[in-house]
Amino acid sequence: MDFRIGVIASALVLAGCDLFGGGGVTEEQRGDGTDTIELAEFPDRPYWGDTHLHTDVSVDAFGFGVRLGPEDALKFARGEEVTATTGMSAQLDRPLDFLVIADHSDAMGATRRLYDAPRMMVRDPTLRRWRDMMHESPDQSTRAVAELITAAANDEIPEALRDPERQAKATRELWDRHLGLLDRYNEPGTFTAFAGFEWTLMPGGNNLHRVVMFRDGSARTAQVLPYPGLDGDVTGLWDYMDSYEQSTGGKVLAIPHNSNLSNGMMFEFSGPDGGPMDADYARRRARHEPVVEATQIKGDSETHPFLSPNDEFASFGVAGWDLGNLPLTARSTPDMFAGSYIRSALLRGLTLEQQMGENPYAFGLIGSTDSHTALATADDDQFFGKHTGNEPRADRAMAAQNLGTRQGRFGWHYLASGYAAAWARGNTRAEIFDAFMRREVYATTGPRMVVRLFAGFDFGESDWEGDWVRAGYTRGVPMGGDLVDDGRAPTFLVSALKDPDGANLDRVQIVKGWVDANGAEQEKVFDVAWSARPMDAASNSPVPPVGDTVNRSEATYENSIGAAELRATWTDPEYRRGQRAFYYVRVLEIPTPSWVLYDAKRFGLTLPKEVVEANVIQQRAYSSPVWLRPRGTPGDAPPIMR
Amino acid sequence: MMRRLLRDPLAHFLVAGAAIWAALSFAGEPVDPAERTIALTKEGQANLALGFERTMGRPPTDAELDAQIESWVREEVLYREALRLGLDAGDPVVRRRLSTKMDDLAGAEVETARPSEETLAAWLRDHPGRFAQGERFTFSQRYFRSEDALHVALDAAGDADGDAISLPERMTDASYADIKAVFGSQFASQIAELQETSGAQVTSGYGYHLVEIEERVEGRQRPLSEIRDRVEADWRSSTAAARRARAFELLREAYRIEVE
Repeated sequence: MDFRIGVIASALVLAGCDLFGGGGVTEEQRGDGTDTIELAEFPDRPYWGDTHLHTDVSVDAFGFGVRLGPEDALKFARGEEVTATTGMSAQLDRPLDFLVIADHSDAMGATRRLYDAPRMMVRDPTLRRWRDMMHESPDQSTRAVAELITAAANDEIPEALRDPERQAKATRELWDRHLGLLDRYNEPGTFTAFAGFEWTLMPGGNNLHRVVMFRDGSARTAQVLPYPGLDGDVTGLWDYMDSYEQSTGGKVLAIPHNSNLSNGMMFEFSGPDGGPMDADYARRRARHEPVVEATQIKGDSETHPFLSPNDEFASFGVAGWDLGNLPLTARSTPDMFAGSYIRSALLRGLTLEQQMGENPYAFGLIGSTDSHTALATADDDQFFGKHTGNEPRADRAMAAQNLGTRQGRFGWHYLASGYAAAWARGNTRAEIFDAFMRREVYATTGPRMVVRLFAGFDFGESDWEGDWVRAGYTRGVPMGGDLVDDGRAPTFLVSALKDPDGANLDRVQIVKGWVDANGAEQEKVFDVAWSARPMDAASNSPVPPVGDTVNRSEATYENSIGAAELRATWTDPEYRRGQRAFYYVRVLEIPTPSWVLYDAKRFGLTLPKEVVEANVIQQRAYSSPVWLRPRGTPGDAPPIMR
Repeated sequence: MMRRLLRDPLAHFLVAGAAIWAALSFAGEPVDPAERTIALTKEGQANLALGFERTMGRPPTDAELDAQIESWVREEVLYREALRLGLDAGDPVVRRRLSTKMDDLAGAEVETARPSEETLAAWLRDHPGRFAQGERFTFSQRYFRSEDALHVALDAAGDADGDAISLPERMTDASYADIKAVFGSQFASQIAELQETSGAQVTSGYGYHLVEIEERVEGRQRPLSEIRDRVEADWRSSTAAARRARAFELLREAYRIEVE
């Protein structure tokens, strides 16, 4: 090829850069959405989104093979048809309402640049080998990225990839382009595109990752760059967030995820230096991290059977993941679990609050995908995989995973999970972000159940006859709220509506955690509404199993069991005055086939019996908790409604 | 043919490219690997300083600017040597990168262009489906858990309240997508097909519904003034893609492909 053509081409490209600064974006799209649409009086419907999506800008996603970028991701999320990297056409049956593209801030775009770099320019022998592997084949490319993740976990990333100045320059170009694109797709009232990134702190391979999500449009977010992680500690991230808020007047929050892969480090009882946690640290954590991602493709972090032996539904999405940390460079031991799962973290929060007056772990719950395919989907009947290497293909269910290859994690351990639901008064950046801040959000493992929770002291059965949503907001607090103990047992209005295009509901439970008079942490799961027999059965009797209509070989189920909606007015029968407690709702669907059984049907696979049975699952939703606080303790929740 | 050429983006590209090539050659810019002088103009230095400032938020010190220049020179030396050695020839990455650039070029012009009102009006006219405001419905519904309950209500002359459920009794000015989000696919598609407006029986994932349609606003085409930004964004992304495809076709025609 004549080099001259190349030179001319470069000159022309340079002349015509500013690719995304173009017209076609209104002021309303550029801002945070305030005063752009008419808002409901109270949050009137959940808005559905994914806060954790990777595209070809992410260093690992690109290496895993994805060639779809942020624009494809936005198109797909708002309901348009796109072609997945492996060639299948993909379209969401029901679009999402909001999306956070959360590409890794470290080495943003670096694998793409490494891949594109002329070989002779890559001097570092490790980088050169990875570059060659990426060009060799998809399998080799996936292996190169697994090595990269392990290197990052072991703090052995080649210097050339961490050169801060070079990286800052490359990131600046990507970020500016990206923010322009987000504004273009952000349409108040219809679809919300949030700026964000993933901060990938991973000491020793223990997953302390956070998704960082901005409330603002490009006028503010362009004043900063995504904050790199890998080493350092979490207070550095909070400093970055504080400085963003102070210098721009904007708002930003962080969402921890995959605590299940942290080997007990995500929700430690001690402070970051190993000593006792101090109140300032706890206050900062609660303020910056109001919400945690409870469920996603790499497993479910609600709880573990070791921690909750009396909870018969505690094992969902645990298998495989509980073997060790993210790259499986360190095995887990049971003493680590309390710091790795959400229910135990909420309990630790109560204890810490009792000890020092601040609760670092007073967080709400969401789900999201963590998909590395640029496709934000949590549907089991059409699972697009964790990354491009396991987009639909016959051998993916039984294949050993790239993370911890042949050590007990297999394709079928991936969950087609989850989504975030936000109770907001309208679909704008400001409204949805604020719902996250006040924790009025919930998690599902994929199905779009509609879950309401209100807590107060004077609710009764008769409230269901009137406008109970208004009653809930005016005489109580919604999910995520704080209730101050007034000497009476709290009463909850709970409603769960099935996904209209999905399976019926089995039961609704309230999970209560508290610190008893001896200072010991306690938990209990109460069944408060169920479908398996008449609803007026004594509330403490064990609820029979709902049944099972799943046809294993056809990957089908029948809605002949279960209920369309379950409601309950429930008063805590074990309330004690002055007790610190949290209450959250867990909704279970009737059993359905997971993506693995749909795969088996589609590709004609014969799976081992235990794999088949493990993939008849009960999809679920987790509400954010309501906290019951003794009178006189400072509530750290922002006002429920302005 | 000539007229077609004049309008063709690729022709523009080739002519512009030739012009730049001529200009660069004339100005003696360092594009020839055989050339042994590397000159960095004042302008070039200013650009390096500007690049630094944009990253770091302050102008570079003299030492930092020197470092920038040194690294620019290093890159240029290696680049020219690579060309001299013909390393661009057999390298699949260079091949891929240049082909991507060609692709981008064909679309680049569109990215910054300011389309005229006529262009956008025509775009809107030619793609009505993308910009039409869909039908909108105002309706109320009563829910019944079972078909039997529905029939009992119908026998009672239709004035039964229905079973309690946390669904809106009424939706106002709702689009198909709004209805689908709340009541599911089955319900939404039946609403869209309804002939009658009163006492319609509709099923959903929840059960059975009696629906009264209060108002149904036909879909309408919105004027350009109302949705100019959307039309422009759509024109931009579609046109860039189409131009890339056309530019490629034109190039492709000049080759005979033999696959053994």
